[in-house]
Amino acid sequence: MEEAIKTIHLSKFYGETRAVDDLNLSVSRGEIFGFLGLNGSGKTTTIRTLLGLVKPSQGEAFLLGKKVVAGMTDIWRDVGYLVETPYSYPELTVEENLSVLLKLRGIKDHSRVKWIMQMLQLEKSAVKKAKHLSLGNAQRLGIAKALIHKPKIVLLEEPTNGLDPAGIVEVLELLKDLAENSGVTILISSHKLAEISRIATSIGIIHGGRLVTTIDTKGLESRLRKVLLVDGRHKSAMQSILANAGYEVKQKRINERSVLALEDERAVLVPEEIAAFLVHEGHPPTLLKVEREDLEAFFLRTIHEKGVYRDHGHELH
Amino acid sequence: MTMVMSCIEVELRKFFRSRVPLFTFLALLLVPFFGGFFMFVLKNPELAQSLGFISAKAQLIGSADWTSYLGLLAQSIAIGGLLVFGFVTSWIFGREFSDRTVNDLLALPTSRNAIVLAKFAVATFWCVFLTLMVLFAGLAAGTLVGLSGWSPQLFTKGIVVYFVCSTLTILLSTPVGFIASVGRGYLSPLGFMIFTLALGQIVAVTGRGHIFPWSIPAIFSGVIADSNILIEVPGVIIVLITSIAGLMGTTLWWTYADHA
Repeated sequence: MEEAIKTIHLSKFYGETRAVDDLNLSVSRGEIFGFLGLNGSGKTTTIRTLLGLVKPSQGEAFLLGKKVVAGMTDIWRDVGYLVETPYSYPELTVEENLSVLLKLRGIKDHSRVKWIMQMLQLEKSAVKKAKHLSLGNAQRLGIAKALIHKPKIVLLEEPTNGLDPAGIVEVLELLKDLAENSGVTILISSHKLAEISRIATSIGIIHGGRLVTTIDTKGLESRLRKVLLVDGRHKSAMQSILANAGYEVKQKRINERSVLALEDERAVLVPEEIAAFLVHEGHPPTLLKVEREDLEAFFLRTIHEKGVYRDHGHELH
Repeated sequence: MTMVMSCIEVELRKFFRSRVPLFTFLALLLVPFFGGFFMFVLKNPELAQSLGFISAKAQLIGSADWTSYLGLLAQSIAIGGLLVFGFVTSWIFGREFSDRTVNDLLALPTSRNAIVLAKFAVATFWCVFLTLMVLFAGLAAGTLVGLSGWSPQLFTKGIVVYFVCSTLTILLSTPVGFIASVGRGYLSPLGFMIFTLALGQIVAVTGRGHIFPWSIPAIFSGVIADSNILIEVPGVIIVLITSIAGLMGTTLWWTYADHA
């Protein structure tokens, strides 16, 4: 499949700091790519480089097969974006902010303003000045500006910031619909894996400016660690018995109480065998539960396992 | 060209929805108001003293005639204009950074050059409007006061000096746009304006004002009374070069600088 977004050995240095370091990114057309990283991991710099706002120190960036260079104009007809917090002209109304952008994009069809306001439920705020908008509506306006010209590629940074839970679902569904039904390629940068994994087709995790891993979200489930939680009246005795039987047993705190945690595949796959074994040993469990690692934990673990850590420009391993 | 016109339309809308036009209008309206008032006091010193406008012991210098008045208008626009026109330009450019709306302008099918040109066009348009407003309001105030010494030759000379001063001052706004862009806001250009205004006066006093762009409008207006300094074509060329450098610098900065 043809790549909509591509970077080749992309790097951006600010003095000694490597904001983006040898990044090779490839996003196919129609894909929703979740670009995940902690604050300062290089997400914003990557997006700014893709938008031609920042010149790469090394490497190249391509959108729809065209190399991104300073001063180019044609490519931006097909690209919508929301970089960092959305800001609009405070003295202009929502409708005016959108029509101003439409004009700058050279689009004469003014019905797009109404269309996008309807799509993002901004109609009630149409005549409200941008400076009087709530955080959620300011965010909706930012997304509206990114989508008003029906782009082929959308680059969004933290698009659900400030939205209430219903708003988050609504915006994510809208983006999913754009990708699935209109073939729009979407790159969403965020630090919320749980949220992004709901719509992303693949996820790239960036840390210290480097792409740590790329995951197909279909295979995400299999990469999440599972753990068998066991509790009983004589916990220390149970721990000894299980350890003697060859299981690696750890203690984990859940709801302010300590339980035994077994990551062993045998235990996770056949927990009833552990139950039978403990009953046989005279220590019947009062809790037996297979728990899946949550996505945020997986995200942090991935960064810690695969990441190259930097502290003030020094590499730590 | 169509894109530049679209950009101008957008910039005009943004500008006129702000309070900057009103504030700058009121600020420069003070020029004919106080100019007319000063002429009135000069013409009627006893009345002014009896009304308490000035102290009975005050010494008034100058004469209430059209020569002095048109000179005063030209001097006011050369000094006040440097600040007000600079403020207009600094706002038009600096607001994009202060309001953090600049991101919306940098990855568009419209070239960044067109956006910069549109911004300068709107700034120039408003500065020209302010210049005309000061002139017409000033002429009205002078007529109301009943100044003496009017003649077509004097009027033509006064108007020419006024327009040359205004044009030179407006031309010197482009470096402000550059400073506002590089400084990413209002603060740097405001500092730059005050610095150049002060430096312009100092350089003029040292006798080198004819080669320092920010001294030239003031010298031409006659506000810096030094008969040894004359502003001729080279002075105008220096201001033109400064203006073009400001325009080019701003355009190049918007196109090639990192917008991190």
